[in-house]
Amino acid sequence: ISAVRQKTKLTSLRDCSLELVLNPLFTTTLNELILFYFFMTQLISVAPQISTQYPVVDHEFDAVVVGAGGAGLRAAFGLSEAGFNTACVTKLFPTRSHTVAAQGGINAALGNMEEDDWRWHFYDTVKGSDWLGDQDAIHYMTEQAPAAVVELENFGMPFSRTEDGRIYQRAFGGQSLKYGKGGQAHRCCCVADRTGHSLLHTLYGRSLRYDTSYFVEYFALDLLMEDGECKGVIALCMEDGSIHRFRAQNTVIATGGYGRTFFSCTSAHTSTGDGNAMVTRAGLPCQDLEFVQFHPTGIYGAGCLITEGCRGEGGILINSEGERFMERYAPNAKDLASRDVVSRSMTIEIREGRGVGPDKDHVYLQLHHLPPQQLAMRLPGISETAMIFAGVDVTKEPIPVLPTVHYNMGGIPTNYRGQVIDHVNGEDKVVPGLYACGEAASASVHGANRLGANSLLDLVVFGRACALTIAELHKPGEKLSPLRASAGEESVANLDKLRFTMQNHAAVFRTGPILKEGCDKMHDIYQTLDSIKTFDRGIVWNTDLVESLELQNLMLNAVQTIQGAEQRKESRGAHAREDFKDRVDEYDYSKPLEGQQKKPFEQHWRKHTLSYVDHKTGKVTLKYRPVIDSSLNEQDCAHVPPAIRSY
Amino acid sequence: CFKSTIAKWVCQAAWRPSIIGMVSSRGYRGDAPDGPQVDLIEIPLPPWVERADEPIDTKRRRLLYESRKRGMLENCILLSIFAKRYLNKMTYSQLQQYDRLINEPSNDWDIYYWATETYPTPEVYQVEVMEMLKEFTKNKNHEQRLDAPSLDYLDEEYQLDRS
Repeated sequence: ISAVRQKTKLTSLRDCSLELVLNPLFTTTLNELILFYFFMTQLISVAPQISTQYPVVDHEFDAVVVGAGGAGLRAAFGLSEAGFNTACVTKLFPTRSHTVAAQGGINAALGNMEEDDWRWHFYDTVKGSDWLGDQDAIHYMTEQAPAAVVELENFGMPFSRTEDGRIYQRAFGGQSLKYGKGGQAHRCCCVADRTGHSLLHTLYGRSLRYDTSYFVEYFALDLLMEDGECKGVIALCMEDGSIHRFRAQNTVIATGGYGRTFFSCTSAHTSTGDGNAMVTRAGLPCQDLEFVQFHPTGIYGAGCLITEGCRGEGGILINSEGERFMERYAPNAKDLASRDVVSRSMTIEIREGRGVGPDKDHVYLQLHHLPPQQLAMRLPGISETAMIFAGVDVTKEPIPVLPTVHYNMGGIPTNYRGQVIDHVNGEDKVVPGLYACGEAASASVHGANRLGANSLLDLVVFGRACALTIAELHKPGEKLSPLRASAGEESVANLDKLRFTMQNHAAVFRTGPILKEGCDKMHDIYQTLDSIKTFDRGIVWNTDLVESLELQNLMLNAVQTIQGAEQRKESRGAHAREDFKDRVDEYDYSKPLEGQQKKPFEQHWRKHTLSYVDHKTGKVTLKYRPVIDSSLNEQDCAHVPPAIRSY
Repeated sequence: CFKSTIAKWVCQAAWRPSIIGMVSSRGYRGDAPDGPQVDLIEIPLPPWVERADEPIDTKRRRLLYESRKRGMLENCILLSIFAKRYLNKMTYSQLQQYDRLINEPSNDWDIYYWATETYPTPEVYQVEVMEMLKEFTKNKNHEQRLDAPSLDYLDEEYQLDRS
């Protein structure tokens, strides 16, 4: 029986056996089980009563990881490998994480296809970020990338190969050789079209060799914060409705993005920004939430991606007047213009009243002028997707499409070692005991825009970094500092409120085009959270309750996103404003710098947004933090000074 | 180094005989091209285990959650609507089939490709509920399926049950 279990106080055999089933040690025999149960019955400790409605169970660990996607699994496995008693708390079984949807690949300058250098990858990433990325973190990520990929290979990830047996690398947008001067780079490693699944499978499979305790289908409610220090998390067990307090020296948040704040997004319905919301409720900031990447053609409402290859094969976008409007915006490239241009043009068409549908809020992608054989041959899967979700036969009708949220660049601010930071009196200050990685975090390597195939890299590099930092600062088995008996009271009170308040139903707002409603409307909507109605009174597997909690989390993400976007009066990367079309830096980088006066911090926008929310009122406070412009080692890898971003 | 990794896996499997039979259903070889130079190894995951003695109502409630919380958008939408339509009508044995179908395969894309008949369904999953799912997926009525259905239907049934 592992030390982990010895420290875990469980209240019933049911919990014990549940943990055994979930715990991936296959060596458990019946004898051990009996012993274990005997042992546990000696250890029963009734947690201080923060609730009379729910049984409360306390656990003690060296580290707890929230989320079991690519980043969470990498962190959990790194911690277990280093000897830390680690719990991984997740609302989904690991292979159900949204990482599974990543089909692209993972960037690393391995140089298998042509000469390559991680410094070129560094340059591309800084440029892609539109100089809003922190260059120390980008340095760290791109330099670590080749080792991270080789490590995955050694863990057994079956990368696609070249003829001579090396990892095959394909071309991806935004990747260049020789600092943008050497043409297209081939830097993206993949496992056919299922890289994300393979990554999850590999990391989860690997982590089972260590003693990570998985708490699967547990919904994390809040951080346990005391005196500015994180002391663990409190979670709801879906299976029996019990409350669990995971006390830990170190807490890693790896909960993914918050794509579901938008009406149309490509994320799974589980990407509800739970970690961001937990941090927000703890009074800590989120960073750069206004930077949201869009894909031009998602099926209206559903969000399912219609590949850009459709336009490559001759598909055209049309408005309510039947006009092929891309001819006006990009006379040469037409429908083949870049993602940004296409998304923007579609948005303008809709705003100017030429959208289609009852609400005139989307446009059509027409394919039926193409021969059916060509559709079937060159665009497999598109006809099925369109029929299944839009009810559309692509050989006869156009597909309703809309620019669709694809990735969230912002998140919980961290340094390049994965430590969560706040910005106090002009200085970055580490929040003790709290770490973040993956899409939930903002290190910030993506800055104002993310390059394709850099997100899986972000997961593994910073998941690993969290584990390494913890291993450097702590030892397994350190004594936990005391936690006040009432910790988590407020979270439980919130559960009660959700379950027993019966007023108006707020579910409609989950599907409404929230962002368009503007800040004031958002503020009003936030107030209606008080009147969420839940329909399900059950204790076990209460999906309705969890989705109400997710809605609260989404709201916190949404108010910060819209306020951040409203305040940022410039266009940078994925943040494009009609009324402020230019990027506003400390200098005008389109002209020689000589003779220019440097703009003060308040007058330019090359800075990170930090947003805080009073979660009771929904009031957002914004602060700003400078971008880190120096790399980790200027001799080895000089930072890239800002320039105009053109491709 | 890579070879020794394989050797370690083999060793582990040897002293864990209980999982050998299970590996085939959850082992994973990826889609990397075959060839003599390709070192593919199977990464074992713990076998999926059906929950014994789960009351039918609990099973339904769990499967509702697991239908709505998938790894990828397409399955979130498909399975959540499918669950609304069929979950409460399923018999215990259909619920068991559905449980296995949505929980045993480790890759959500596989489930999607089988339901859309992009790839043939493996025999073990070619069951009554799979037929229902395939039929449902065809969307013969050309409905728009944009989102998971609101859960207020739980309430209506609750009301009906009472009246």
